[in-house]
Amino acid sequence: MSPGFGLKGSGSMSKPATVGDNPSAHRHGWLKKTNVQKWIFVLLSITPAFGGYLVFTLYPNLLSVYYSFLHWDGIGEPTYVGFKNFVYMFKDPYVWRALRHNLLFMVTIPPAVILISLVLAYVLTNRKYWGSSVFKVLFFFPNVLSTVVIALLWSFIYDGSFGLLNAFLGLIGIEMGNFYWLGEKTALWAIIPPAIWGGVGFYIVIFVNAMVTIPKSLYESALLEGAGHRTRLFTITLPLISPIIRVATLFLALGVIKGFENVLTLTNGGPAGGTDVIGLYMFNIAFGTGSHDYGYASAIGMLLFVILITSKWLSDKWLPNQSIEY
Amino acid sequence: MEEKRSIGDGVWYLVLLAWSATILFPIIWIFYGSLKTNREFFQDVWRFPETLNWVNYSKAWNEYGLGDSLLSTLYYVGASLVIGTLLTALNAYVLTRVEFRGRKLIWGTIMLSLFLPGINALVPQYILMRDLHLTNSLTGLVILDSIGENVFFLMLLAGFMQSLPKEVEESAFLDGASLTRVFVSIMLPLSMPGIVTVAIFKFLGLYNNFLGPFIYLSDPDKYTIGVAMYQAGLKMQFSADWVTLMAGVSIAMIPSVLIFVFFQRWIMEGATLGAVKG
Repeated sequence: MSPGFGLKGSGSMSKPATVGDNPSAHRHGWLKKTNVQKWIFVLLSITPAFGGYLVFTLYPNLLSVYYSFLHWDGIGEPTYVGFKNFVYMFKDPYVWRALRHNLLFMVTIPPAVILISLVLAYVLTNRKYWGSSVFKVLFFFPNVLSTVVIALLWSFIYDGSFGLLNAFLGLIGIEMGNFYWLGEKTALWAIIPPAIWGGVGFYIVIFVNAMVTIPKSLYESALLEGAGHRTRLFTITLPLISPIIRVATLFLALGVIKGFENVLTLTNGGPAGGTDVIGLYMFNIAFGTGSHDYGYASAIGMLLFVILITSKWLSDKWLPNQSIEY
Repeated sequence: MEEKRSIGDGVWYLVLLAWSATILFPIIWIFYGSLKTNREFFQDVWRFPETLNWVNYSKAWNEYGLGDSLLSTLYYVGASLVIGTLLTALNAYVLTRVEFRGRKLIWGTIMLSLFLPGINALVPQYILMRDLHLTNSLTGLVILDSIGENVFFLMLLAGFMQSLPKEVEESAFLDGASLTRVFVSIMLPLSMPGIVTVAIFKFLGLYNNFLGPFIYLSDPDKYTIGVAMYQAGLKMQFSADWVTLMAGVSIAMIPSVLIFVFFQRWIMEGATLGAVKG
C-alpha cells in the first residue's frame, strides 16, 4: 500500500477560489501586451501536464471501452467480436475464483487495518506513555517500504525450512516442521498479514491527528461524570471521527478490489492460481508469459471499472456523510 | 486532569511494544542475516554471525546488477521528480491565482480523474506507449510519470498557495513584473514547504513504483532497483542463496530509510493533509 496518496474523497473536494484578477489590467496601455504575455505563460505551464493527462490518462480510459470489444493479441490485426469477451468472462471460472479471493480480502483486510489502527491510535493519544511519538513514527515506517521489499521480507518470514515464522513458533513450542506458509493450504490467508502490516501505519497517523483535534474539555467533563476509557472511546472519540473512518474504509476497500501488486510480488497468484485476484488475472492475460489477449483483458478491466464505480456510488448513497459539529 | 495508572495501562503498553516488535524484528533479523554465511544461516537462523560478511553486499551488488539499476533508478526518479514537481507547482499556481477563460473546464476535467480507477487503462496505455516507441526506455517512463495531473498534489499545493497573501503578488505586478517573474521569485519561494512535501511524496511513489517499470522495461540493464530485486527474488528459488538476497533487500531499503529518517515530520504531516482534503 503506498503511503500518503490516500483518502481522496470525491464529494467534498472544493475548487480553490480565485484570488484577484490580473492587476495590470488596470493600466490601460499595458492591457494588450500583458494579456498576450499572460496567455503565453498560461499555455506554457498548463499544456505539458494537462496534455499528458489527456493523452496518457483520459484517452486510454476511453480506449479501454473500445478494446473490450476486440479480439487482439497486440501484434496481428484486431477483430471486432461484439460482446463475446463479456459472455466468455461470465462463464470463465477463473474470473469467479479471483473475485472470491478479492471478496475474502475485502472482508478481512480493511476491517483489520481500521481496527488495529484505531486501537493503536487511541492508545497513543489518550494514554500518556513515554515515547508515544517514537511509536507513531516507527509504526509508519512500513508504509514507506516498496511492495517488492515487503514481499521479499515476508517470503523470508513464511519460508518452510528457514523462515522466521516457523523458527519463532518453534521457540514457543509449536513445531511446524517444514510447513511452507505460501503453499497450497495457507497461501491465500498468508496474503493478508503483509497487507495489514504495510497499511496500518498510515491510518494510525490519520486517526491520531483526527483524535487530537477533539476538544479536551469533552473528555474532561466525561471524566468528571466518571466515564471510563471504554465509555469515552465509544461515546466521544468514535462518533466524532466517524466520517474519517468511513472514508478510510472506502479507500481501503477500493484498494483491495483493484490492487494486485502485493499478490504479484509475493506469490504471482500461485500456487496454481490459489491466490489469484481479479486485477492480477487481468494483468497476466495482458502481460503474462503466455499468450496475450488485450481484448479479453480490457473486458475484465471494464468489469473492474464497473465494480469500483458501483461500490463508490453505493457507499455514497448508503452511508450518508454525516459530520458532527462540536 | 490525570487518571490513575492501572493494570490496563501496562497491558496497552505491551500492545504498543508488540506491534513495534513486528516491525523492527523482521528488519533486524534480515540485516544480521545478511552478514552471515549461508552455512551459518542454515545451521541456526537465530544466531548472530561470527564474522561480519560484508562480502554478501558486494556479491548482491554484482549478482543482481544493482549498480546499473541504481543508475536507472536515479535517472528515472530524479528526472520524473524534478519535471513532475515543477509542472505541479506551475499548474497549481495558474489554476488558483491566474484568471483565464476555460479554467473551470480544466479543473473539471482534472477532477474527472477521481472517478477513474486507472486499472482498466493499463492495457490501452501500454499499446499507446508502444506505438509512440516509448517502451523499454527509461525516458519513456519519465515521460509517462512526470507529465499528467495528480489531484492530490494539485489540491495540496493549491491550498497552500491560496493561503499566501495576495498583496505581495499584486505589488509586484504594479511594479511591472511578468507572471513568470512573479512565479519564480515570489510564489516558488513562498510555497516551498508545500513543494517539498509534494516532492517527498513523489519521491516515495516513484522509488516504490514497481508496476510501471515492470511492465515497460525489458532489458535487465534498465531495471530499476524494485524490478531488479523482484527478479533476484525469483532466482532465489533455484539458488537458495539466502544471505545474498538479504543483503540485496537491505540495500534496497536504504533510500527509503534515509528519506524517512530525514523527512519523517514532513511525511507524517503530508499524510494528514491528504486526509483533511478528503
